Amino acid sequence: MKKLLFFLLIFAGIQARAQELRGVVTYEYSQDWIKIASRLPYLSLDQKERIKSTYKNYTGSKSIMKLYFNADQSLYSYESDYTRSEDGRWSWRNSDYVIRRDFKQGTRTEIIEMLGKTFIVEDSLAEPKWKILNQLKDIAGHVCMKAETDDPIKSQKITAWFAQDIPVSAGPEMYYGLPGLILELDINDGDVVVTATQVELKDVSKELAAVKKIKGKKIKAAEYDKLLTDHIKTAIKAQENPYWTIRY
Amino acid sequence: MKNLFSLLLLVVCCCTAFAQQSARVTVRGSIVDTASVVMPGATVMLLTPKDSALVSFGRTSDKGTFEFRNMKRGPYILKVSYVGFLPLQKEFTPDAGDITDLGALKIKPIQKELFEVVVKTARAPLSIRGDTIEYNASSFKVPPGSSVEELLRKLPGMQVDQDGNIKAQGQTVQKVTVDGKQFFGADPKLATKNLPAEAISKVQVFNDKTEAAKTTGIDDGKREKTVNLELKESHKKGGFGKVTAGIGTKERAQVRGNYNRFNQKEQFSVLGFANNINQTGLSFDDYQDFRGSQSFNWQDNGDFGFNSGFYYFGGDDGNGIGIPINGGNSSNRGFSRNYAGGGNYNYDTKKTKLSSNYFFNQTGQTFDTDLNKETFLPNGSFLTLEKSNRSTLNNNHRASARFEKNLDSLNTLVIIGNARFNNGTERFSSTQNFFRGMSRETPSSLTEINNRNSFSAFQLASTAIYRHKFRKKGRNFAASLSYNINDTDGSGNQQSNNRYFDDTTSTGPPASFRLNQDNMTSSLRNELKSSLDFIEPLSKTVSWETFYNFSFRTDRVDRDVFDVSDQGRIRNNSLSRYYTNDFTYNRIGTSVRYSNKGLNVSGGLAGMWFNQAGRFAPDQTASTFTSVNRSFFSVVPNVTVYYNMKNRNLNANYNVDVRQPSTADLQPVIDNSNPRFIREGNPNLLPQLTHRVSAGFNTYNPGSFVHFYSNVNFGYNINQIVYNQTVDERLVTTSRPENIDGGKNFGSYLGFGFPLKKTKATLNVYSSLNFGRNPTYINNVLNQTNTNYYNFGLNLDLTPSEKFTLYPNFNWNLTDTRYSVNKTQNLQIYNFRYGGDLNVQMPGGIYFNGRLNYQIYKNEKFGFNQQLPILNLSVYKLFLKDNKAEVRLSAYDVFNKNQGITQQAYQNILQTEQVQTLARYFMLSFTYNVRGLKSQMRRNNGW
Repeated sequence: MKKLLFFLLIFAGIQARAQELRGVVTYEYSQDWIKIASRLPYLSLDQKERIKSTYKNYTGSKSIMKLYFNADQSLYSYESDYTRSEDGRWSWRNSDYVIRRDFKQGTRTEIIEMLGKTFIVEDSLAEPKWKILNQLKDIAGHVCMKAETDDPIKSQKITAWFAQDIPVSAGPEMYYGLPGLILELDINDGDVVVTATQVELKDVSKELAAVKKIKGKKIKAAEYDKLLTDHIKTAIKAQENPYWTIRY
Repeated sequence: MKNLFSLLLLVVCCCTAFAQQSARVTVRGSIVDTASVVMPGATVMLLTPKDSALVSFGRTSDKGTFEFRNMKRGPYILKVSYVGFLPLQKEFTPDAGDITDLGALKIKPIQKELFEVVVKTARAPLSIRGDTIEYNASSFKVPPGSSVEELLRKLPGMQVDQDGNIKAQGQTVQKVTVDGKQFFGADPKLATKNLPAEAISKVQVFNDKTEAAKTTGIDDGKREKTVNLELKESHKKGGFGKVTAGIGTKERAQVRGNYNRFNQKEQFSVLGFANNINQTGLSFDDYQDFRGSQSFNWQDNGDFGFNSGFYYFGGDDGNGIGIPINGGNSSNRGFSRNYAGGGNYNYDTKKTKLSSNYFFNQTGQTFDTDLNKETFLPNGSFLTLEKSNRSTLNNNHRASARFEKNLDSLNTLVIIGNARFNNGTERFSSTQNFFRGMSRETPSSLTEINNRNSFSAFQLASTAIYRHKFRKKGRNFAASLSYNINDTDGSGNQQSNNRYFDDTTSTGPPASFRLNQDNMTSSLRNELKSSLDFIEPLSKTVSWETFYNFSFRTDRVDRDVFDVSDQGRIRNNSLSRYYTNDFTYNRIGTSVRYSNKGLNVSGGLAGMWFNQAGRFAPDQTASTFTSVNRSFFSVVPNVTVYYNMKNRNLNANYNVDVRQPSTADLQPVIDNSNPRFIREGNPNLLPQLTHRVSAGFNTYNPGSFVHFYSNVNFGYNINQIVYNQTVDERLVTTSRPENIDGGKNFGSYLGFGFPLKKTKATLNVYSSLNFGRNPTYINNVLNQTNTNYYNFGLNLDLTPSEKFTLYPNFNWNLTDTRYSVNKTQNLQIYNFRYGGDLNVQMPGGIYFNGRLNYQIYKNEKFGFNQQLPILNLSVYKLFLKDNKAEVRLSAYDVFNKNQGITQQAYQNILQTEQVQTLARYFMLSFTYNVRGLKSQMRRNNGW
């Protein structure tokens, strides 16, 4: 049983540190469809192994994500509303996905397109329950420590690597709440990996303040969770990959 | 902003029990380094000892102090992290008082070399778990072929002496394990000296209990320095296989099997089958198991540039060089015996991909055919009734290899080679009765045919593609070179007897005409192709492509025909031919492409020049040759639009297809293998151009699962290749390909699908309409055949439970054909299809599958009404561990109605054909699959 806790944080004479606590992180989001398919309960071992062996040279898709943060707020979304192929000759639309957090007020606003609609989830923050582990690794020039949690709705194991030297609670996708900025997120041992490729500490108040107008259906977090739970259950029952139509 | 104090609100978890008062405690302390210097800004975390769950966190003040207020009383782990220092972990239980002071806690710097090498430089996760240190082996470069010993020498904190003794952090390593298991005996050196370094993914160093403690279960407190080597996935091997054997009534039998071995880099597979149930090729699953990672390769086409004006061969040219796939279905025509076998090897790394395979198959087929054919002429019609038998035996040896190399991040090379050696024999006998008008009373003539043919051929198709990316993003260059060869030798004997009962030119017994000819044909085709392509980005959203295609092809054909009589063989100079044809094709084009915000538009123009230079004579020694020299130039446009929007997309295209006439159509050769239907080639044929416009719109709502597809297309032909017919007094048809303008086609497709009840019932309805007009000359009179095709269908997916599924489908089809040459022959053909697929799971792991395909063919004009209910039933049971085995009893065509009927109306011809084929039989089969089998209750929706 845990309780509402207040924690007093004392910084004394940490000059300029407050200024460092804002910036923008560029992440590479890569998704391995083959690994995801191999978790689908309705596929037989034969089918899964065939998928793996046939498509082993074509496993993933990549996109670029941006996280703007300061000590109180964060904003995470696609780098652009449209993705351009590597050779620049194809452009396609990205789903609406804007994750906004206000740590000071304890609120979140999430614009998420899924199941053919755009939803706007406005609710209070619910912090993931993290476990802290001992591994260290270097990501984009920052030494990061490992933490783990899980997503009970999607039954996912979440591994986050947070920077020891950027004491901000922000992070990519739906995750945050660690003693340092999350620079890498790994969902289910590599099904999805979101890795920081660049961390720039600079003033981002303009980007954080900018509000893009996206129409959508306003719902509460509990409704959103229920939508997901129902969809996953239905899709698995219908023997369809639920993650074709929701974010993994 | 300078803050002395900043308050951070942390909501760890919101729960109720706020009430338990004095259960609160404040924890404080300070962090210092080994020299007792205070450490400001260190991250301090409070975790629960049970599962390391994060309860609270903060940072130390400038005096190195921290304080957690108002914490729930209980045991905690205090964890301290600071860049460059080993994470400190301290377990404590708060004292009785309100404040627990942990005092000054010392954190130790990570050994500099360890930190620099492992954490910073190598970008490798260094794991320090208690006293276990884990190294990521791939981060330490050792020469290829090195042993683990050499790898260990590279690891910071490890020493290996000359004799191979290992020390970790100064202590001697007593034990080396592999994946946690002892490696062949107790000597730690055995593993480190014998295992290759490249097999290792991780090296872990820790203190383990002694073997004695492990076996007795009594911890003697002693610890041994242990090194554990974790093997890479790639060095974990796997193998699997599958075999099916079945035996049935009417001497039906089948056996098929495959075996695969693989690791991360390599895939090896063998496959074979034999059957007489008309399965001539591989199923898609078998094909994927056989070819593995090389099942599908994109970008293997060396013909660059847009489609417009790109010239491809129609007809039979160049087909069949790949491995035969028939989706695992039984052919509905004739009877066949099939044998096949092959092996495939793939090697895949990021830089190099290599694949090679060999595949042999033999197919022996028999067709007993009843043909009922009506031919319309400007002044009447005639009827042909034919009974024929065709038996063929073909052997194919296929070999292919593909090599792909990423020379560096900017340069890629792909080399592909496909070869086929095949030979075959064919025997054909037929009896044809000809009737004038519709009467079937008295035949006007009778033809009996008895032909034998054999051939052997070699084909090779090879392509090399080089792609280069420039440093400027989006600037790309590609070049390709292809060489193809087709060398075929054939020989045959043709015998026929033709009797004309109503021939008025002769008196007395019916005029008769016998034919007995031997022929030998050798043909050699060589083709050299090359393409270049360059793409330049003009801006972020606009790119410009320029391409050039070249092809040069030469055909050399030598055909000798001999009349065989009692006096021996006499060369027939009117049918013998020697000819050469050289085709030169050049195309240069350019296009501009705009891609932005989901809108992708490109438009371009190409100029294509085509030349054909041929010469032919009855024999290569002939003194005079007839020459053909034709060329044409055309400018062809190309436009494509693709717009990707939320839940919908739109596409539109305009292009010009160029179809090169087939070899058979071009060659100045008279094919009289059916003396009542003589095919002449036409060396003057030009390629066919089709201007095609199409547009499509699709929407899909992933929430409601409602989808809608639509497409319209229109094509207009220039120089369409059509087969003009002349029918002489004796009802001998001569068909000759000619170019003609004006043929067109309009088609459309609409599809709509939605769930009636989510996960339980889905309905798909679709309709397609097609209106075509095809001109041909019949006895020098222009005939326009207008074919209107109306199709409507619906599929229902009923999946009410895991134990019962049903997939009914209905299709109604009307073909309305109008002949301008003879309006009285206009007719409508109706095809109806009612089908269903039923799956039931019964108790005891027994499954039932029933499949009905009920086809109705109706043609009122001819009083034709065929009803063909084909019902297949099977019962199967899965057994053994993981359902590795299956036994199945199947009944094919329960009503014994499979008659291989097809009805066609085309050009000036209406025909109904019936081929004897596999009808009712029963089969008992057994399958064993190492990877396990699955009941087929559901249709596969893809994954």
